Amino acid sequence: MAALGLLGVVVSIVSAAVLTVRGLYGAFRPERGGAGSLRWPVIGLLAGGVLAMVALEAALLADDFTVAYVANNSATTTPFLYKVASAWAALEGSLVLWGLVLAGFTFLVWLGSARRADPDPLWSGALGIMGLVTVFFYVLMATVSNPFEVCTATQGIGCGLESAWPFASTVEPIEGLGPNPLLQNHPLMAVHPPTLYVGYVGLTVPFAFAISALLRGESGDDWLRRTRSWTRIAWLFLTAGIVLGGLWSYEVLGWGGYWAWDPVENASFMPWLVATAFLHSAAVQLRRGVLQAWNFILVIATFSLTILGTFLTRSGVIVSVHSFTQSPIGPALLWFLMFVLVGSIGLFAMRIHTVSSAPRLDSLASREGMFLVNNLLLTLFAFVVLTGTLYPMVIEAITGDQVGVGRPFFDRMAIPLSFALILAMGIGPFTPYRSARPAVVWQRIRNPLRVALAATAVMILFGYRNGWQILAVLTGSFVIALAGRQLWTAARTSAAKQGRPVLPETLRVMRRDRPYWGGQIAHVGVVLLAIGIAVSANNSVEGDFDLVPGDTVQFAGHDITFVGPFNRQEPNRRVLGATVEIRRGGDVTTLEPRLNQYPTTTQSIASPAVRTGLRGDLYLSLAAIDSSGVRLEIFWFPFIWLVWVGGFLAALGAAWGWLVPAPRRTAKEVVRE
Amino acid sequence: MSEQVRKWIAGVVTVALAAVVVTGLIIGEDSEQDRVRALGTRIKCPVCQGESIAESPSETATAMMDIVGERVAAGQSDDQIIDYFTERYGDGILLDPPFAGRTLLLWLLPLFAVAGGVWMILGRRRTTAPSPEESTI
Repeated sequence: MAALGLLGVVVSIVSAAVLTVRGLYGAFRPERGGAGSLRWPVIGLLAGGVLAMVALEAALLADDFTVAYVANNSATTTPFLYKVASAWAALEGSLVLWGLVLAGFTFLVWLGSARRADPDPLWSGALGIMGLVTVFFYVLMATVSNPFEVCTATQGIGCGLESAWPFASTVEPIEGLGPNPLLQNHPLMAVHPPTLYVGYVGLTVPFAFAISALLRGESGDDWLRRTRSWTRIAWLFLTAGIVLGGLWSYEVLGWGGYWAWDPVENASFMPWLVATAFLHSAAVQLRRGVLQAWNFILVIATFSLTILGTFLTRSGVIVSVHSFTQSPIGPALLWFLMFVLVGSIGLFAMRIHTVSSAPRLDSLASREGMFLVNNLLLTLFAFVVLTGTLYPMVIEAITGDQVGVGRPFFDRMAIPLSFALILAMGIGPFTPYRSARPAVVWQRIRNPLRVALAATAVMILFGYRNGWQILAVLTGSFVIALAGRQLWTAARTSAAKQGRPVLPETLRVMRRDRPYWGGQIAHVGVVLLAIGIAVSANNSVEGDFDLVPGDTVQFAGHDITFVGPFNRQEPNRRVLGATVEIRRGGDVTTLEPRLNQYPTTTQSIASPAVRTGLRGDLYLSLAAIDSSGVRLEIFWFPFIWLVWVGGFLAALGAAWGWLVPAPRRTAKEVVRE
Repeated sequence: MSEQVRKWIAGVVTVALAAVVVTGLIIGEDSEQDRVRALGTRIKCPVCQGESIAESPSETATAMMDIVGERVAAGQSDDQIIDYFTERYGDGILLDPPFAGRTLLLWLLPLFAVAGGVWMILGRRRTTAPSPEESTI
C-alpha cells in the first residue's frame, strides 16, 4: 500500500512539473502550447492524487499497520467513519487530501477551457502556476512529510521507527495508537476539514490566473471575469468550513464555545476576510474599471495568507517559536511563503506600468466609495488578526519572553470593526454609483431605519438591556429591513410593468440579478450570525449542580432530573454518562451527556448533550461522575442557532447563482428589448 | 388624515422609538456573572495551550476562576483582581496585553493601519466636480 501511495505521489510530481513547464510555455507561445499539450499532465496529476488518497484510505480501512501513519493515527477499534477521517487527522495525511483537492481544481480549470479551439494563453499560464504550487505540496509528501513511510521497528502498539523506502523490511505493530481523542469524538470531524480545504485550496485558482495575467502583461479584466465563479466556490466552502468548525467546537469542547481566536482559527479567518474583500473589489472593477492594482494585491494577499495559515497550523510554531524547526516542514513552508511573496510582489512591481492607473472616484459618497470603505474595513480586520496572531511569536523569537494575546485583544478590535462592517453592509448596496445625493440616500434608508428602531425598542421593552445586544439588533435589523425594502421596491416596479402580482415577483427579481441578490442573502446571513453571537453571548446562563439519582433542579425555565448514571464499553472507548430528563411545559426530552475515556489518554473527553429549541439551546456538560452522583454543568444559550443559520445562509448566498435558474423572459420583456 | 398630520405622527413615533433605543444603549449594563467571566477570559490558563481560565475545564483553571469569583463578590475592582494574578504569575499570564511596554506596538499598529487606509481612500477622491449620479442599483 505504501509503495502504491508513493507511486501516486511521484506520478503527481512528474505530471505537475510537466504541467508547469508546458503551461508557462503556452502562456508565452500560445501557438505552440494549447489544450492538447496540457491534457496528459493534468490527467496524470489527478490520477496520481487519487491514487495516493485511495492508497492511504485503503491502508487505514485495512488496518495496515506496516504503514507508519496508520499505526500512529488509527487502530483496529476505530469506528469506520473515523478511520476514513484519520486520513486528514494528522499532518502527513492532511497533505494528501490537500494535494488531491489541488489536483481536482487543476483538472476542473483545465476542463473549463479544454474544448476551446483557439489558443488560450492566460488559462495555460494559470495551469502552469497551479502546477508549480502542486509540485511544492507533492514534494513535501515525498520528502519531509511522507505519509507512506513504512514501519521498521515497534514495541507492539504504534510505530517506533519509520523508513521512507517503501520496500524496506517492515514490521507490523499489533495495534495502532488510534486518532487523537478529540478528533474521534464527533462526526463533524469527517466533514469540517475537507470543506475547509476545498475553500483554502480553491483560492489558488484566482491567484494562478492573476499571476498568469501579470506574466503576460495583460492586466485587464479578463483574469477577474474568468475567476469570479472560482473565487465564489472557494469562498462558499471556506465560509461553510469555518462555520462547521465553530459547530464542531460547540458540540465537543464542553463549555459552549465556538470561537476562541486561537491561531488555528485565525489561520482560516484571515484568508476569509481578504477573500471577502476581493469578491467585493472584483465586482467594482468589473462594473466601473477601478481598483485594478488593488485586486492584484488582494489576490496575492489571499493566497499568501492560506500558505501562512498552513505554516502556522502545521509547523508547531504556535506551541513555541522554537519548536517549529523540530520538523523540517516548518522551514519548508516558510521558504515557500517567502518564494510566493517575493515572486508575486516582484512580478507585480515589474508589471505595475501595465496596470492602468485607476481613474479617480467621482465622490466618496457613492457605491464605489462604500466598496472602498468595505475593503478598508475587511483588510484592516485581517491586519488586526494577523498582528495579534503573529505578535506573541515575534516577541518570543526576539526577546524570549512570553506575551499573551487572546480574546480580549481580538474582541476589542473585532467588535467595532464588525459594527462598522454591518453598517457598510446595510448602506453600501443601496447607495447609487458615481455620486449619491444625501436626499436620495435618506429617502432609501428612512423607513428601514424606523423598522430597525421599532424592532430594537420592542426588544428593550421586553427586558433585554445589554448594550452590545441592543447595538447588534439595531444595526442588524436595519440591514435586513434595507434589503427587504430594496426587494419590495424592485418587485413592485417590475410587477407594475408586467402586470403581475407583487409577491411572486420578488422571487423573479432575485433570480434576475443573481450576483446582487446572492450578495444580499449573504449579508443577511452575516447579520443574523452577528445577532446570534451578541444575543447568545450576553444572555447565556450557567449553573453547576451536584446531583444524585432522582434529583431535580430548575434551570432557565426547565426542570432537569438526573435519572441515573450509565457505563458502557465501546470498541474504541469507555463511555460514562448520565441519563437526564428535561421537562419544559408538557414536553419531555432525555439527554445523555457523557465522558469518554480513550485508552491512549488519561484525561476524559467530554461529550456534551444539547437540546436545541427555537428559544435557545440547553447545553449539558458532564464535569465529573462517580458512584454517588454527578456534577453537571448546565448552560442556556438563547438563540444560538442564529449563529449556524446565519453562517450557512452566508454560504448559501454565494451559491445562489447556481441554485436558482435565471427566469425565463416573457414575450413582453423580449419585445421591450 | 392629512399628509401633514401623518408626517407629524411618523416623526413623533420615530423620535420616541429612537429615545427608547438610545436610553437602552446608555443604561445597558453587564451583570456580575458577566464580570467574573469577562475577567476570566483576560487571564491565561497557565497549564493549557492558549486557553483562558474561563474556557479551560482543567482543575487549575477552575480553581483560578473560583478565586476571581470570590474577589468579585468581595467587591474588588477589575484592576485589583488582575494585579493579584500578575503579581503571582507575571505579565505573561494576561491574555489582554497592556497598552504599554512590549505590547504597546501591538495596539499602535492597527491604529497606524487605520490612518494609512483613510489617507489612501481620501487620496482617491477626484478634485474636479462630480458627474451626475447613475441610475439605481
